[in-house]
Amino acid sequence: MAGTTVPIALRRPRDDRLAGVLYFLRRNPRMVVGGAIVLAWLFIAAFAPIISPYDPIKVDVTNALEPPGGAHWLGTDDLGRDVLTRVLWGSRVSLSVGLISVSIGLLVGTSLGLAAGYLGGTFDLLVMRFIDALLAFPALILAIAITSALGPQIQNAMIAIGIVAIPAYARLTRGQVLAVRAREFIVAARTIGCSPLRIVLRHVFPNVMNTLIVQATLSTAFAILAEAALSFLGLGPQPPYPSWGQDINYSQRYLPNLKWWMSVGPGIAIFTAVFAFNFLGDALRDAFDPRLRRSG
Amino acid sequence: MIPVALLVTVAVFGLARLSPADPVLIFAGEERDPVALEQIRHELGLDQALPVQYVAWLGRAVQGDLGRSFQNHQRVMEAITERLPATFELGLAALLVSVTFALLVGILSAVKRNSLVDLLSTSVTLMGVSFPSFFLGILLILLFAYVIPGRIFPPGGFTPFTQDPMDNLKRLVLPAVTLATGSLAVNLRQVRSSLLDVFGHDYMRTARAKGLGERVVITRHALKNALIPVVTLIGIQIGAIIEGAFITEQIFFWPGIGRLAVQAIPAQDYPVVQGVVLVSAFSYMLSTLVVDVLYAWIDPRISYDTAAA
Repeated sequence: MAGTTVPIALRRPRDDRLAGVLYFLRRNPRMVVGGAIVLAWLFIAAFAPIISPYDPIKVDVTNALEPPGGAHWLGTDDLGRDVLTRVLWGSRVSLSVGLISVSIGLLVGTSLGLAAGYLGGTFDLLVMRFIDALLAFPALILAIAITSALGPQIQNAMIAIGIVAIPAYARLTRGQVLAVRAREFIVAARTIGCSPLRIVLRHVFPNVMNTLIVQATLSTAFAILAEAALSFLGLGPQPPYPSWGQDINYSQRYLPNLKWWMSVGPGIAIFTAVFAFNFLGDALRDAFDPRLRRSG
Repeated sequence: MIPVALLVTVAVFGLARLSPADPVLIFAGEERDPVALEQIRHELGLDQALPVQYVAWLGRAVQGDLGRSFQNHQRVMEAITERLPATFELGLAALLVSVTFALLVGILSAVKRNSLVDLLSTSVTLMGVSFPSFFLGILLILLFAYVIPGRIFPPGGFTPFTQDPMDNLKRLVLPAVTLATGSLAVNLRQVRSSLLDVFGHDYMRTARAKGLGERVVITRHALKNALIPVVTLIGIQIGAIIEGAFITEQIFFWPGIGRLAVQAIPAQDYPVVQGVVLVSAFSYMLSTLVVDVLYAWIDPRISYDTAAA
């Protein structure tokens, strides 16, 4: 190999890395916008007690029903509570329900899908009939039924939304497992004596990861929307604790008096959070699978 | 479908039994005499083993007997059938709004790709799927019932069509639009992307090459093929419309089965919740079955494939 030309690094690695990041950001504006809003909401949820200007549940009737202004940017409700503060605190409920319920769905659904796809046979048949039964219910109605049976509490809303999310993960994972089960590297792993658990976790699971990340992002959007709907129906956290859906429901009685600010704050909060997760999920899907990139 | 239907009944039955509250105490109201409570427990069949209770409940359910409401002791099936026409009217109106707008705007958006209409429709799609329906409902009430002078539409309530058709339609507009928005966004995206996909096929070029007008090419050749995935999607959207009715009926005081269930929840009236959930699940299953049949009818290749297999 004597005389072979060796490539010379003409630029410093740090410049390359910066250029790479800038190129990525330019190529994926949806991921940047979606990701930035998601990060902003996560920051707000984590630091709500520090950044909130007021106490979310402290009643101050002297300042009741004040329109948006200097002291209260999003106005106050009928008990004088600052709407902006309640919106900021409400993000803790929405995001925690979103993330925990998606984790429940992801863990249970993926485990079922991996086992059903890899083991096949009667186990696969039983699992898939169970999944079909879950899919026979409109998602939100199943969540309402479970929460109403268990009782209107935030933990029960998490469980209900988590159960509703199981079928999507189970089906996705099973499909991917079936697609890779007969591939050479799985046959090779089996030939050298790997245990089924090791094959599933070390060889099959990494092939499903990208699809699951996309699904998890999109189902977080659904979970936030579902939590807001459950809270709106009185099946989420109970008053006086702030929750976006519950606050919108509460504001309904003041519509004839045109106290619009009581519902606009939490409404926009739900919209931006759901929009950001949907946007990020779509962008991640396109980034992981270039065949899905939209033509239009 | 039958095993799934049976599993659905097991789930609905099991859900009501998950509750920590004793249904006998709720059914008895003020009554606390232990002998009377035992009598009620026996009459409701709650002193038997769970599998026996399930079989008895299923036997009655298939005959249309879903038990009695704990609140007013009305037959659940009677309560549901009384309210079903209102839900059906709202659902149908929402589906009409959703499909009509999705087809009109979707076609326009695909034909005039990258135009202002296209940009607007893709923005609406993106926002529609993320916008909570109850927030939209509240904004519509605020705008059309209170802010705009003349109160264009009433903020809620229901008048039977047979009693006053004009008032019925006036009260239908806002809830129908609220309920339609979520599915409209999904349908619109599907119509547009299906059409764009079909536009790239050879038969479209052939149709244009033989001199057919653009209108004929789109309606006779493109739309017919593009509609196949749209029909499937509409079937799925029926589920979204059923679940959306729970929320929309609550906002607009629409006396349908969704509102019936939502009002039954705080009163722990499980037979009513159970009945509505069961009816909703079966309506959803039936609608997907109808869509499967329609699918084969629209695209004969599906039947041929099945026959060949």
